[in-house]
Amino acid sequence: MVAKKPRSISTSSNKVWWMVFAVVCGATFLTRFYKVLEPDHVCWDETHFGKMASWYINRTFFFDVHPPLGKMLIALSGKLTGYDGTFPFEKPGDKYDSARYQGMRIFCTTLGALIIPLTFLTIWEMTKSLDSTFIGTILLLCDVGFLTLNRYILLDPILLFFMSCSIYGAFKVRSLTDEGYGPFSTRMLAWQIFLGASLACTISVKFVGLFVVLFVGLRTVADLWNVLGDLQKPVSLTIKHLIGRSVTLIFIPALLYVFFFWIHLTVLSKSGNGDGFYSSGFQARLEGNSLHNASAPKLVAYGAQITLKNHRTGGGYLHSHHHLYPAGVGARQQQITTYTHKDENNRWIIKPFDRESVEGVVVVRSGELVRLTHATTGRNLHSHRERAPITAKYMQVTGYGEDGIGDANDVWKIVVSGGKDGEEVQTVRSRLMLIHYLQACVLTTTGKQLPKWGYEQQEVACNPNLRDKNALWNVEDNVFDDLPKVSFEAYASGFVERFLESHAVMFQGNAGLKPKEGEVTSQPWQWPINYRGQFFSGSAHRIYLLGNPVVWWGNLLFLVIFFIIYVVNSVREKRAEAFGTLTQDGKERMLLNAAGWCFVGWALHYVPFWAMGRVLYFHHYFPALVFSSMITGILTEYLLSSVKSYLSPELGRTMYHCVVGVVISTTVYSFYLFSPLAYGMNGPLAHEPNSTMAGLKWLESWEF
Amino acid sequence: MVPAVAGSLLVAVTYQVMLEISFYQWTAILAGLLVLFENCFLAQSRFMLLESIQILFGLCGILCTIKSTYKTGVSSVIWLCVAAVSLGCCFSVKYSGLYTYYLALFLVGRQIWRQVGSTESTLRLALAVLWRLIVLIILPVLVYVGVFYAHLAMLPKAGPHDSVMTSAFQASLQGGLASITRGQPLHVAHGSQITLRHTHGRTCWLHSHAHVYPVRYTDQRGSSHQQQVTCYSFKDVNNWWIVKRPEQPSLAVARPPDAIRHGDIVQLLHGITSRALNSHDVAAPASPQSQEVSCYIDYNVSMPAQNLWRVDIVNRDSEDATWDSIRSMVRLIHVDSGSALRFSGRQLPAWGFHQHEVVADKVITHQDSIWNVEEHRYTKAEDRRERERELVSAEMIPTAVTQLTFWEKFAELQYKMIAHAPDAPHGHMFASEPPEWPLLVRSIAYWLSPNSNAQIHLIGNLITWYAATLSVLLYSVLLAVYAIRRRRACADLPIRAIQQFYDAGYIFFLGYWLHYLPYYFMDRTLFLHHYLPAYIFKILLLSYVIDHIYFILHIHEKTKPLTNVFIVCVAVWLAYVVLTFKKFSVLNYGNVNLTESDLMNLRWKDTWDFILHKKG
Repeated sequence: MVAKKPRSISTSSNKVWWMVFAVVCGATFLTRFYKVLEPDHVCWDETHFGKMASWYINRTFFFDVHPPLGKMLIALSGKLTGYDGTFPFEKPGDKYDSARYQGMRIFCTTLGALIIPLTFLTIWEMTKSLDSTFIGTILLLCDVGFLTLNRYILLDPILLFFMSCSIYGAFKVRSLTDEGYGPFSTRMLAWQIFLGASLACTISVKFVGLFVVLFVGLRTVADLWNVLGDLQKPVSLTIKHLIGRSVTLIFIPALLYVFFFWIHLTVLSKSGNGDGFYSSGFQARLEGNSLHNASAPKLVAYGAQITLKNHRTGGGYLHSHHHLYPAGVGARQQQITTYTHKDENNRWIIKPFDRESVEGVVVVRSGELVRLTHATTGRNLHSHRERAPITAKYMQVTGYGEDGIGDANDVWKIVVSGGKDGEEVQTVRSRLMLIHYLQACVLTTTGKQLPKWGYEQQEVACNPNLRDKNALWNVEDNVFDDLPKVSFEAYASGFVERFLESHAVMFQGNAGLKPKEGEVTSQPWQWPINYRGQFFSGSAHRIYLLGNPVVWWGNLLFLVIFFIIYVVNSVREKRAEAFGTLTQDGKERMLLNAAGWCFVGWALHYVPFWAMGRVLYFHHYFPALVFSSMITGILTEYLLSSVKSYLSPELGRTMYHCVVGVVISTTVYSFYLFSPLAYGMNGPLAHEPNSTMAGLKWLESWEF
Repeated sequence: MVPAVAGSLLVAVTYQVMLEISFYQWTAILAGLLVLFENCFLAQSRFMLLESIQILFGLCGILCTIKSTYKTGVSSVIWLCVAAVSLGCCFSVKYSGLYTYYLALFLVGRQIWRQVGSTESTLRLALAVLWRLIVLIILPVLVYVGVFYAHLAMLPKAGPHDSVMTSAFQASLQGGLASITRGQPLHVAHGSQITLRHTHGRTCWLHSHAHVYPVRYTDQRGSSHQQQVTCYSFKDVNNWWIVKRPEQPSLAVARPPDAIRHGDIVQLLHGITSRALNSHDVAAPASPQSQEVSCYIDYNVSMPAQNLWRVDIVNRDSEDATWDSIRSMVRLIHVDSGSALRFSGRQLPAWGFHQHEVVADKVITHQDSIWNVEEHRYTKAEDRRERERELVSAEMIPTAVTQLTFWEKFAELQYKMIAHAPDAPHGHMFASEPPEWPLLVRSIAYWLSPNSNAQIHLIGNLITWYAATLSVLLYSVLLAVYAIRRRRACADLPIRAIQQFYDAGYIFFLGYWLHYLPYYFMDRTLFLHHYLPAYIFKILLLSYVIDHIYFILHIHEKTKPLTNVFIVCVAVWLAYVVLTFKKFSVLNYGNVNLTESDLMNLRWKDTWDFILHKKG
């Protein structure tokens, strides 16, 4: 191979560069698009993302834990290629038949394929060395797992694509900075905007994009630090760079991010199955929701029929029905629950604590003592010193009394949270706490499901700790004839409120993805060693997401090697400094620096998963894999050229070329061996002798 | 008593640490005073709580490490040894002491790194690294293991939390399980009556009862409608099973007993209902990917019994090892399907009495598929008296108390401690979150007098608390400014001062974050007292920042007159700290009956929850 200088305009090496690039692109295209439309059934998480694309196309509102961009792009590609949003995507394995899924799949595959050339460019930008670049890219190209993950209607190809764009942009900006381009020169700004936009897109696909944002943040700080360290230049240059980067890398991405949410909330204008997760104000915006275009009195007056919605995300309505708590579960009185659907049994009549009715219109005010009578059964909302059905620390809440006649334990103090005493209670707007007068506990829902006797509705209890975050309620329906009605439009949340609320709901959803006791989940330590894969498609056309073991174990080895080289090198340098002999040559330094940054990227995309409590999957490792493949590519060259320098020039060159050849051909051959994992396997499982994959089950834990 | 002493010594140690860093003795006195007049350390050290001991050991360790890095030769070795022992004690008290240990490792590492940069010979350097590593790693580990050795040696008796440990561990304690299992036969044989305990994780025993699986589950899947098999967390007569070789009809134990060995095929009969443990190609109730396990009832519906199980002894020493009670860990492999009997971790609904599900799982290597015999006796024949006499005189092989080596016990205890920790309940009344700590949003109530409003709270001195938080910010700003100025080759401070500034940063600033940040990633209920180890570093940082500001004012000609003003300010502030301490100390001593208005007076933040007895 030709060792080249970056800016020397020698046409022959330029030609070689373009040839190699073309080969990589061609190989990428071939491997990615071979059999891309097989299997023609729903694979793995396509069932989720396909469904969500349909919802976008039909404009029905839904709830998901990921930000919207990835799904919107899938939907857009589907829409443009003629998918009409009618296929149900019910479960993995469903045949597509006539549904036009091809466009979406090819779109995702295209983005997935572009990662490889981008990686090529990135390593080139970092090292300006064709050997490192080629080896690193080939490793990624020949990874079967990477191939599998990037060929289906999933968020990962999109995420990885934008992530690769960001990394490329970050190193491009670094080169420009090093070459001394001015902070506001067109080239610099253009690349910075490209970088900022890619960052915004990455984080708008999945929140793990945060790690690449951190990575670029570190890179930028390092750039600024370098500029600052150049004592020839004035400080104002650093400040200009700082301003330029704050605008392009913070301000513009933030705007873009908000803009994507704006599209998301504007497109999804119809009521759908995600409504219940959101507040009353949010729902008032959705066409087809019962709160859309509805109207109700603005204030709550005594005698009004109201429904109370819990404020916790996904919280239901305060509910009761003609059934008692079973024997052994506290007092045998009528059940009180929360119920997420709208129902006649959610209605309550609000009364003063001491009278059945009041004359005229008397508005309920914060701090007053009230009783709530269930409209259909005539029982009062009641609490007493008995254990709540599930949460033993709390007190039981029941329906008690007959036709509104109960006892002193039916009295609740109504308090507007964050308001003063005497403030009027408003529909939707006021966040209410109901504090039990005698027990001094607050009406709350624990969100836990009651067993069958409670129809699997959620438990309502009275919490003696008044700081309960779930103890807030708001009045949603308010039926009272003597007050003028106002349209719900007035309560509908504005964009900013909805933007913030969807984030609160997403974070809660993410935090709720906890593994259950005894469930087998993927653990971070298993990932780099390629311990266990993931079935994408079962039955006849089996596809199994598993890394190419040669690539993965090689990467793992080189991570360790990197660490050793780094330590040894630092010590050597420090010693050299002490004795005043500097030895490092420029090329090696550059390679090591590039490997160092890749290592930082790898660690940023891998280590945080150790601290995460949520359910983790094998495919969370793939962003880190991109970095670790780059390290392997770069370090292979570093090691080889170190060894070469000890040998005679003739021998050195031969050895160098042989080893590079062996590395590349082994990788390609292993890809050939394991490629059926991605392109589909038929016949018996691998541990049976007559299987096509016989002999390839190198680890007991692989399940193909 | 011990925590109180530890709490008192803390002041002295703080003084010493500060003295090592600072130019002025006054700074050290200030640091000592701040610790002395800190309500949270007072409250914490007056009770039998571990934090003050942990903090004392930790700070001692850091002090000795610092001393060691400043010295050379033998005294350096001695100081480092003392440091290592002290740090070992620190993390043997509480695991969060490990953060202090990391800090010490970092400090020593930094010293080594400096030596690498000097012109010493490589050999000397390697030696210096080597002895430091040996001291810092070996000694703390020795202390740690020693503490556990003492723990196990002093607690040979069974106690209330035995059932957390494995059968073998329990049997090695005096009393408890050992009193039941002593004298029971060792080898499981044809005709043995056993209870099978799920070895790792949740404590439960293989169980069955005369109830069948519901015909249809709520999700419309069908079941075999055969007798339920579960894992039950309490001792029960229904936990007894009889081991039987399939070809032998009689259940009595032969003479000599026909011991079951690794690889043998057996049936397990449920003691009370006499039905055989069975599994078949029906999805399990709560984990449909696995097979259901039942006790076989012959409904005559072309579903033959598949009740043969192969005994796979996991910890065998030879291929024909016998199946021993307590000691052997076995996997029961279902012969027809090759799956292993496994505890799935899921709870059954009401029809299964909320007991835990047992399934046959294709993945046989899971650790939940390991079981061991706990209680064991040989079945006696109809002619009981004669059999009994025979068994007692000849066949009964009395087991000695199971001997586990110290290392086995140690390993098990470690594992259990790690596995057990996350079980803490959520949503405690006085729990708090790490972001709330630096501003002292919550306190913890420790005690309330039953007949008056005297009470004890863990609450900090708000004045010091806020000043310390401010000092962290100030230090970060100064750090950034100095770093940027230095990058532009501007020297603001004399070399020694800047050196000292970084030293203080590495010890106090880093120490603070090292003890504080990890809590953000912990998925468990946290309390204010988790913050105390970080807080001591914060107080030290605070006194250092005051010291540093004084120094800056002092060296510049222009600002020199301001030093006196500054000293007065600090003095006034200190007086205020002492006053606040005095005011809040009623909440630490708990000896004064407080009226409602007193309490309201003390309630400086409305997030602080004090407790009031209701009148009447």
